[in-house]
Amino acid sequence: MRPEIRKIRDAMEAAHYVTDAPVATAVHLAVTLGRPLLIEGHAGVGKTEVAKVLAAVQQTNLIRLQCYEGLDAAQALYEWNYPKQLLRIKLEEGDGRPVEAREATIFSEPFLLKRPLLQAIAQPGPPPVLLIDEIDRADEAFEAFLLEILSDFQVTIPEVGTIRAARPPHVVLTSNRTRELTDALRRRCLYLWIDFPALDKEVRIIRARLPGVNERLAVEIGRVMQRLRRERLAKLPGVAETLDWAAALAALHADHLDADLVTETLGCVLKDADDVRKVERLLATGGVAALVGTDGDGRP
Amino acid sequence: MDAPRPRSLDAAVVAFAARLRAEGLEPPAGHALVALRALEAVDVADREETRLALRAVFPSRPEELPIFDRAFDRFWAARPPRMPAVNEVPLPPDRRDPPVARTDGARAEPRVLAGLAPLAETLREWAEGEAAEDDDARLDTAALSDIEVVAEKDFSTFTPDELPAIRRLTRRLARRLAGRLGRRRVAGRRGAVDLRRTLRRNLGKGEVIELAYRRRAPRPPRLVVLCDVSGSMDLYSRFLVQFLHALAGAFAGLEVFTFSTRLTRVTPCLRARSFAQSLAALATVTDWSGGTRIGECIDRFVREWGRRHLGRRTVVIILSDGWDTGDPDLLAGALSAIRRRGSRLVWLNPLLGQPDYAPETRGMAAALPLVHAFLPAHNLASLARLERALRI
Repeated sequence: MRPEIRKIRDAMEAAHYVTDAPVATAVHLAVTLGRPLLIEGHAGVGKTEVAKVLAAVQQTNLIRLQCYEGLDAAQALYEWNYPKQLLRIKLEEGDGRPVEAREATIFSEPFLLKRPLLQAIAQPGPPPVLLIDEIDRADEAFEAFLLEILSDFQVTIPEVGTIRAARPPHVVLTSNRTRELTDALRRRCLYLWIDFPALDKEVRIIRARLPGVNERLAVEIGRVMQRLRRERLAKLPGVAETLDWAAALAALHADHLDADLVTETLGCVLKDADDVRKVERLLATGGVAALVGTDGDGRP
Repeated sequence: MDAPRPRSLDAAVVAFAARLRAEGLEPPAGHALVALRALEAVDVADREETRLALRAVFPSRPEELPIFDRAFDRFWAARPPRMPAVNEVPLPPDRRDPPVARTDGARAEPRVLAGLAPLAETLREWAEGEAAEDDDARLDTAALSDIEVVAEKDFSTFTPDELPAIRRLTRRLARRLAGRLGRRRVAGRRGAVDLRRTLRRNLGKGEVIELAYRRRAPRPPRLVVLCDVSGSMDLYSRFLVQFLHALAGAFAGLEVFTFSTRLTRVTPCLRARSFAQSLAALATVTDWSGGTRIGECIDRFVREWGRRHLGRRTVVIILSDGWDTGDPDLLAGALSAIRRRGSRLVWLNPLLGQPDYAPETRGMAAALPLVHAFLPAHNLASLARLERALRI
């Protein structure tokens, strides 16, 4: 393994992010080649975390753009501070300055509200990590707009001029695949698919994040999660749910799982009433062994 | 990194990219260069690392990962990990090697279309042509006159050579519809003051005289489509499914169910990128060309999915000709239940495009008083007029 990749892996592990070679390699390439990294995977597998850890590893700041339906350039890039502009116009009323001079004042940098994309481009010093989170929630039109930014890392504001990134930010995009992204965007990015972790990785994650959980409990939790993900559930639990659950169990001073405990804490794992009912039925018929399944594939 | 790259590595990567393309991935032309830069940044003596580096470059969706892995194993297995001598010419992709079974329609499709003699042929061409014509740049090549002719033509009367045109149009239409439904703000006479436009409009006047307003466009609705795929709908349902596939790709708030004698949620199937893949996925879950039990299926929808999908922001679209062998009271009851949840109910009937059609079947007669809109869906023009009915 290349020392640079190992370094990234170690740094991620040091930041309590349990990683593996695919993640470390993809992150290393994204930084080295200066390409955006598109991360896809089920909800709660730690996509967003990659960006946070990358910022920590690069010792830089993280600028986050949370996408949603209807997000537009004014909210993502920049907006003029209209109330402030109006006030200034009011204040200057009657001082006889020519229109051009007034205009120059109110369309200057102090009146500019920098939104995440512009912040990332305009930041002096070391390049930040720009996290564009859940890009699949934004509309296709926004994706097209984003492409333009991602290809030149420069923004032209008619009144101010062109602002160019001294050094392009490290860009991480995440998607939950609620919508297909356009090919143009995919083409521009390196790609990383983060799957649900295998049992041993999940156990390592629990142990790394929650040192209070003992090995036995961690393995049992991991087994249950692996089992649940094979069920046909409306919403499959991710690693985020695993950690919530483990934390809840730790708070209850549990050191192993039993049926009552699982039933009481199921709400940490399953977020859908039908799913809960389904798993409760499983528990009722087979007890906790039905979920922990000692005969299972892949012990740690 | 300093030494010049061995030329054989260049050639090998280019050949590998070609192999991937042969197996169904679509790496764009420039990607071999990106791959070479990626390989410079890793240890090419380490096969696993080489794999991971190329894996970050070539595939761009999870379905492509297994294909990539297989292709990688086969392509690089024959080579020593360390790149060979400078003048070695890479082997051309082995022609005898059968391409890896693609997950798209090539195999499953005959099952979907079995028993539909003339139509099946044209639809097979359609599905197979899809892969080659996925590029939207080609949208504009359809002559305008074609578009008008195609748009007004009844779906049941298409000839094979018109399929490419309708395929492009359908996709474009679905995208436009999705775009309209998703719009968030519009200029208006009243509503919140639009400061941006106000300021622009009044620059040079010295003070703000004229205010510009904007209002929030209604939030995009959630669409639930219940599509009849029974035998009597055969001539239409496959076109409509194509439309739904394109719409699903462009509009996030869409849920699609098919029904004939049973109800199936097919939203995940429609997420596949190419229509051929979607069709293959649909073939495994949907019972095409069966009988119809509309009432039972819609009742089932209400009971099993209603809580999740029905609400005041939902438009339920039923795509059906209303031929039903089931109980009309059950249908009426289910439709009333949908209305009670505050959802809008739109019934699209392809037969409505025929001048002499009257909605007299028992099912249709029971449904008519309960729907908010009853519209035709027999050609592209009628689909294009949907927008208004879908606004809440």
